[in-house]
Amino acid sequence: MLKTAIIGCGKIADQHVPAIHRIPGCDIVAVCDRELLMAKQLAERFGISHCFSGLDQMLETASPDVVHITTPPQSHFSLAKRCLESGSHVYLEKPFTITAAEAETLIRLAESRHLKITAGHNLQFTLEMLEMRRLVQQGFLGGKPVHLESHFSYSLDDVTYVGPLLGNRNHWVRQLPGQLFHNIISHGIAKLAEFLDDDLTEVLASAHQSPQLRALGGQEVLDELRVLIRDSAGTTAFFCFSTQLRPGLNELRICGPANSLVVDHASGSLVRHKNRSCKSYLTYFVPPLVDAREHLRNACVNVSNFLGRRLYQDAGLKELIEHFYQSVRSGGPPPIPYREILLTARIMDEIFTRIYSAEGPSAPVAPSGSFEARPLTSNARP
Amino acid sequence: MADAKPLTSISKFIAVPDDCLLVTGSNGFIGSKVVQTLLEYGFVNLRCFVRPASKLARLEGVLKRSRPGRHVELIAGDLLSRDDCRKAVAGVSIIYHLAAGIEKSFAGAFMNSALATRNLIEAFLERGQPKRFVNISSFAVYSNRKMKRGSLLDENSPLEDAPQARHDAYGFGKSKQEEIVREYGESQNLPYVILRPGAVFGCGNPALSGRVGINTFGFFIHLGGSNRLPLTFVDNCAEAIVLAGITPGVDSEVFNVVDNELPTSKEFLQAYRQKVNPFFALPVPYPLAYAFSLLWEKYSAWSQGQLPPVFNRRRCAAEWKGNRYTNQKLKEKLGWEPRINMSDAMSAFLSQFN
Repeated sequence: MLKTAIIGCGKIADQHVPAIHRIPGCDIVAVCDRELLMAKQLAERFGISHCFSGLDQMLETASPDVVHITTPPQSHFSLAKRCLESGSHVYLEKPFTITAAEAETLIRLAESRHLKITAGHNLQFTLEMLEMRRLVQQGFLGGKPVHLESHFSYSLDDVTYVGPLLGNRNHWVRQLPGQLFHNIISHGIAKLAEFLDDDLTEVLASAHQSPQLRALGGQEVLDELRVLIRDSAGTTAFFCFSTQLRPGLNELRICGPANSLVVDHASGSLVRHKNRSCKSYLTYFVPPLVDAREHLRNACVNVSNFLGRRLYQDAGLKELIEHFYQSVRSGGPPPIPYREILLTARIMDEIFTRIYSAEGPSAPVAPSGSFEARPLTSNARP
Repeated sequence: MADAKPLTSISKFIAVPDDCLLVTGSNGFIGSKVVQTLLEYGFVNLRCFVRPASKLARLEGVLKRSRPGRHVELIAGDLLSRDDCRKAVAGVSIIYHLAAGIEKSFAGAFMNSALATRNLIEAFLERGQPKRFVNISSFAVYSNRKMKRGSLLDENSPLEDAPQARHDAYGFGKSKQEEIVREYGESQNLPYVILRPGAVFGCGNPALSGRVGINTFGFFIHLGGSNRLPLTFVDNCAEAIVLAGITPGVDSEVFNVVDNELPTSKEFLQAYRQKVNPFFALPVPYPLAYAFSLLWEKYSAWSQGQLPPVFNRRRCAAEWKGNRYTNQKLKEKLGWEPRINMSDAMSAFLSQFN
């Protein structure tokens, strides 16, 4: 039985506990929060036996095999370091760390201690993303992706989150180098990092404030971001983060030299676009019907998954955790290659430097950092 | 509309006009009415606590209409910050605590209801001059699961023993909030009163109470049938809250707040549809709703939460089983009477749709 523990008993922990409970062969032995009442309320609701307000006490008393860290990002590095030093594997919620340098330090530490660590990029493990990965590995694209597009929408309608954030300069989100973007965009960036080389030749970023956020009293917070990335192999990637798109767009488009794929998280769909040519006017009739068949297929797959009890709203989280636990048990590679975690962190560093630097946004500067100088053992996706 | 009792003629209250009174959630639907009522009662030294970046239109409207000579201080802060709590309670003798966690997540609701209340109480005991802590709770803390349909639900009725099982984050937060208030009452001699308003309605809140029905599936399902609704008009509710803070001899008491002449769900819905629009409403009797909730609950457990247990027997009973309600204790111990009768209250509520 794998013993797990959770540090940080807020909203994200509420998502982790049910996902962990659906995984056989593991047990949540303790929860910890600096505010003991928070730990107690979580433990009471889910029947967890031990609550702590101090990390060291929890690590010593409960000796968890795996620790899930679901605290605000500023504490990720120190907490994860302490857990690794005490011999626990670490599931670290997104954003992995504040900087790429911190991310590399943690990964080196985990490797040196023969422990596993992963980032909470759970959207990479939804059912549609798993299917996309299977097709890519089978060569559906016909080669390395030529172009990628990742869209990530975020609604400002939840005033319980946005209100305190905008009203308080000391809110932890406002203290992040990338502010609102920093807390959210790693989901969308990580999906690009999976298909990009480490050697990036160009990162262009532009950000602004939406009228809606301005009306809410947004002050200096930016909420619209566009990024263009190019790697040394010539693959380009576009990333769009928006609070304004309606309907919300949360998808990944992968364009290959032969065929393309579109993963739509909002509808749990994977749409295959095959390179077919049609004669004359048939080009107006056949492709839409083929697309309609794709959407019908997705609807059938989702119904089948629902009936088979696989269509959970947190399916990606459960899959990622389960894959991580498997890698802990087997000693195999972690579910997200360390290369991707580091590249995601590095791209985010670059974006925040561009948009918040004194020199002004969008300067096309070659990205800094050379963390790939030393090879990491877990660079391949399992 | 009836006038408030002038403070000068009621010397039996525990507060004097220039006592510093704090109202949390003061810009909310009920909070702004509480501020208005306190000013009408003659209290001239109010502190209104609001969340940063919150909309202040309601509160500002109240303050504009109030008489000159009063001192109303607006403090923006976060009750999760102990420093903000200390600043808010300095010199305060009575707290009307209306701020609540309205988040959908249990952790968020707990944080903003229970944890915030703990911080506020500790600051009050440390920096305030405590005469009374008025905790605004909710009918959501009750459980009528073991009560018969149509039986009387009053202050002695059983409380929900597993609020998390009702899948009601707000109710969970309120239950835990009450526990904290009672705990500080017992261990630190906090002078407190707990008020549990029913469904508060009035101008500025156009929503239909969930006790009438739901439109979860894209059309309205009328589940309240001929149940009496535990309604309280916002002005009446606000006056009950004010009285709970200043009336002597009611420490550690709990009061339900409902108005007189409560309409049935059917009557309320009929009036609403006539005024707003005659939308389709599918009536579903309670036994059918209960059976559906049971099935949903079982499926949720079997599927390990593929569908969360948003419909369950506890919630179904609490919202649609139907009980009778009383405001006897409120009238006897606080001397409260509804300022506005139900007929006028309904007219005022429906007038917002003109």
